Amino acid sequence: MGVMDGILEGAKVAFSFQGILFVLMGVFLGTIIGMLPGLGPITAIGVMIPISYGMDPNMALVMMAGIYYGAIFGGSTSSILLNAPGVAGTVATAFDGYPMAQQGKAGKALAIAAVSSFVGGTVGVIFLMLFAPLLASVAISFGPPEYFALMLLALTAIASLSEGSTIKALISGTLGFMVAMIGIDGQTGTSRFTFGSASLLSGIDFLVIALGIFALAEVFKLIITRNESDSGPNKNIGSIRITKSEMKEMSGPMSRQSVLGFLIGVLPGAGATIASFIAYITEKKIAKNPEEFGKGSIKGLTAPETANNAATSGAFVPLLSLGIPGSGTTAVLLGALMVMGIQPGPMLFTEKPDLFWGVIISMYIGNIFLLILNLPLIPYISKLLNIPRPMLISLVTIFCLIGVYGISFNTFDLYLLLAFGIIGYLLRLVSFPAAPFILAFILGEMIEQSVRKSLTISNGSFMIFLERPITLAFLIITVLSLALPPLLGMRKKIKSIE
Amino acid sequence: MKRFLLFMGMSIALILAACNESSGDADSADGNWKPTRNIEIVAPSGAGGGWDTTARMAAKVLEEEGLIDKGIGVVNKTGGGGAVGWAYIATKKGSPYNLFVTSTPMIDVPLNGQSEYDYTDFTPIANVIADYGAFAVKADSKWQTLNDLFDDMKKDPTSVTVIGSSSPGSMDHLKFAKFAKEAGVDITKIKYVSEQDGGELTALLNGSVDVFSTDVSEVVEQVRAGNIRVLAVTSEERLEGETISDFPTGVEQGINTTYINWRGFFGPKDLPEEALKYYEQKFKEMTETDAWKKIRANYGWGDFFMGHEEYKEFLKEQVESSKALLDELGIVR
Amino acid sequence: MLSSQNKKVSLFLIVLGVVFVIMSVRLPKYPLVPVDADAVPIILGCLLIFLSILLFFIKDEPKDGEDSGQSEPFFNADRKMILLFGGLILLYIIFLEWLGFLLTTALFIFTSTFALGYKKHVTNIVVAIAIPIAFYYLFNYVLKISLPKGILPF
Repeated sequence: MGVMDGILEGAKVAFSFQGILFVLMGVFLGTIIGMLPGLGPITAIGVMIPISYGMDPNMALVMMAGIYYGAIFGGSTSSILLNAPGVAGTVATAFDGYPMAQQGKAGKALAIAAVSSFVGGTVGVIFLMLFAPLLASVAISFGPPEYFALMLLALTAIASLSEGSTIKALISGTLGFMVAMIGIDGQTGTSRFTFGSASLLSGIDFLVIALGIFALAEVFKLIITRNESDSGPNKNIGSIRITKSEMKEMSGPMSRQSVLGFLIGVLPGAGATIASFIAYITEKKIAKNPEEFGKGSIKGLTAPETANNAATSGAFVPLLSLGIPGSGTTAVLLGALMVMGIQPGPMLFTEKPDLFWGVIISMYIGNIFLLILNLPLIPYISKLLNIPRPMLISLVTIFCLIGVYGISFNTFDLYLLLAFGIIGYLLRLVSFPAAPFILAFILGEMIEQSVRKSLTISNGSFMIFLERPITLAFLIITVLSLALPPLLGMRKKIKSIE
Repeated sequence: MKRFLLFMGMSIALILAACNESSGDADSADGNWKPTRNIEIVAPSGAGGGWDTTARMAAKVLEEEGLIDKGIGVVNKTGGGGAVGWAYIATKKGSPYNLFVTSTPMIDVPLNGQSEYDYTDFTPIANVIADYGAFAVKADSKWQTLNDLFDDMKKDPTSVTVIGSSSPGSMDHLKFAKFAKEAGVDITKIKYVSEQDGGELTALLNGSVDVFSTDVSEVVEQVRAGNIRVLAVTSEERLEGETISDFPTGVEQGINTTYINWRGFFGPKDLPEEALKYYEQKFKEMTETDAWKKIRANYGWGDFFMGHEEYKEFLKEQVESSKALLDELGIVR
Repeated sequence: MLSSQNKKVSLFLIVLGVVFVIMSVRLPKYPLVPVDADAVPIILGCLLIFLSILLFFIKDEPKDGEDSGQSEPFFNADRKMILLFGGLILLYIIFLEWLGFLLTTALFIFTSTFALGYKKHVTNIVVAIAIPIAFYYLFNYVLKISLPKGILPF
């Protein structure tokens, strides 16, 4: 069969000396780029395009793919240690990773992140290999109504992301949704809430908000507590060993979220960030002890880290099997392929099997490299926490500033960063949770745009949401997930009264 | 605490004083102008976008073919569909070291009221590339030709949904409207959906929308795989290349109009005459190198060189044509 | 004082919601779509007002419960230091494209670390010089993405 020959051709590419060298280079670069905020895989691959021009396209793609998943792998490090997500896909990682590091378990948190990433990435690649041509139909099954229903389902989790009052969580989410409205409206071209500023026209970048509300707000808090806990517990790195019982705890989220994350990654437009949030939320919903989430829960760290890496593999499905870029990064990858004279499209699979399979097989190798590369480094990287507090505060701040500047090279975004740092700090001051804000911000624009796209298509009729089976299914699940917990609670109450 | 602030303030003041003396620039006086320091090309988009790639590739060719012996750095200024980058260049008035790459949004974005700067606030140097649009439908669609589609749309414009990547009032919307108008469709009733997360093809393939208004380069592979059919391309004559040459133009189907997505290099306002001549010449030489031709071929970019004077005229016509369309659509901003 | 915190926040948010709704209503109309750009923002604004009214009638959570342990330090904190630090960030932003990345970053790291009470000045200077150079080199020479060079010649 042609497929077996193709896989063999691909293996030849991936296991060649050059192939292994370029995977290694790619994942190494990716890890570093992932750790630095602002410098995301998109920028890194973008600047590689002229450099890789004239290279063997197989090798260039192998390396660029390595940068992509390496960055998602490495991005967890700064999320966990500094609460400053290196890439958008690892924001949810900070929810439990950072508290864990603060409890003196930085080493363990990094190890869990590395293992989850490895499992998510590898399972994702296996799926990619087995199902890529098949899943192509899944990738195109989603239109605007389906996206609307899926994102709505994810948004209902806002209430479950709250630690204290549900009202506060809802307000926080509403505020995040409102911030998402800033910029040019996609469906009409109207500038909304931009106050005449050109810099606001394309909306506010997700990382600006994440770094402001999480990292900078945390810096402000550290300034206050810097003298109190000089010998505090967080200087300990702790063991990096994962015990058997911890492994057991991780296995559930890892097996579920590698599948779910992969499937979300397959959908064009969704990607690693949304996958990681949905993973976090679903695990929290089904967990026996959801109150531990947000306070250093192992499950809460495992879920997003598995999902974002699985989603990265998933994103290659539409790219390699259809030539449709499903995310910003894969769009740039597509551009890179084009400049090397390769037209990625539905025919790639049959016409360039060495490239198609070569990349996929190289991703196995890359994931193994990432694990080998990252685990021994953990004790050294986590020494970051031993930097004296004043210095650490300055460096984290610079880190955020460079990161944000690196997104747009526009100082306006730096002012925004400062503003969101202050907003984040104020939110904490009045004990409003920040997670719903950021979740609603990510989902808000997609929800709004997809509902309006759907209504344009249907000439304003809401029936479009009930006529399509996938959409209807998601909507039913949404209603159930909202209605069931209170109903169950009522039943318990009634029973207890009886 | 005040002392530290004072300290920082003072050191800054000192450095500023030093800088004012060193930044004098006296090289644009005599006739044969040549750059004496490194040149900056601004890409008003992030790394990896179309503008960025054009800028980086041009920089690479200009440097590697020895056309310009100073370094050329690409600077990204992202935001506002270009408006942020243009605002930045507007502060560089008269500087012969700050060029930028731009294309059709230079016309659309100001017309939509999203940038206070339009092309007249800068100096067009040379156009280098042309892209053409394409209108595609699903392979099993009932429409075989552009006229089949427009005939149905003339009966009921709201029965057809068009999708594109740019927001309404911009490129993908305008080019479809331009053709539809020529065919006699009521363009204010066209349903246009803008998809900015990369799901346009998906929406077309799963039947959510009917027509995809896009660039030729986006559709070639899908046509080869038999997924979609191209009803028309927006060029004057058929394009060259395998598969691409099969795409009919609008003109040959009796719809007598075209749409070009041009791309070229601009300088800031009041670019010195000598520097303008210099760069115009260099870009011309660049487009003639084999290295550039190869890059162009790989990306599927068409050759479309225009010098300064011709470019200015062309831009003027583009603005008029787009403005007329926007007026008819009732988009007044 | 503390017992009215929810009320204060609520009032602020109601004002914010009202302003947001007014701004949304005043957005220019676009005739070609069934749902215009103002629809969702108006819903959001009203939702915010509604939720804030609910918040107004909710009692503040007890400040010394197990849950609120984290927010404790904010109330007896040295706010001046935060203001100063925020001011330093502001200065950094203002001077970044003017003085260039290297100088501004070096000055920022040194000054803020110093201001936060770090005593080992030599270490401070070394870090303040090494870190910006490392970043600058990575961006401008390895990745070829230009950070502002400012007044320095390289």
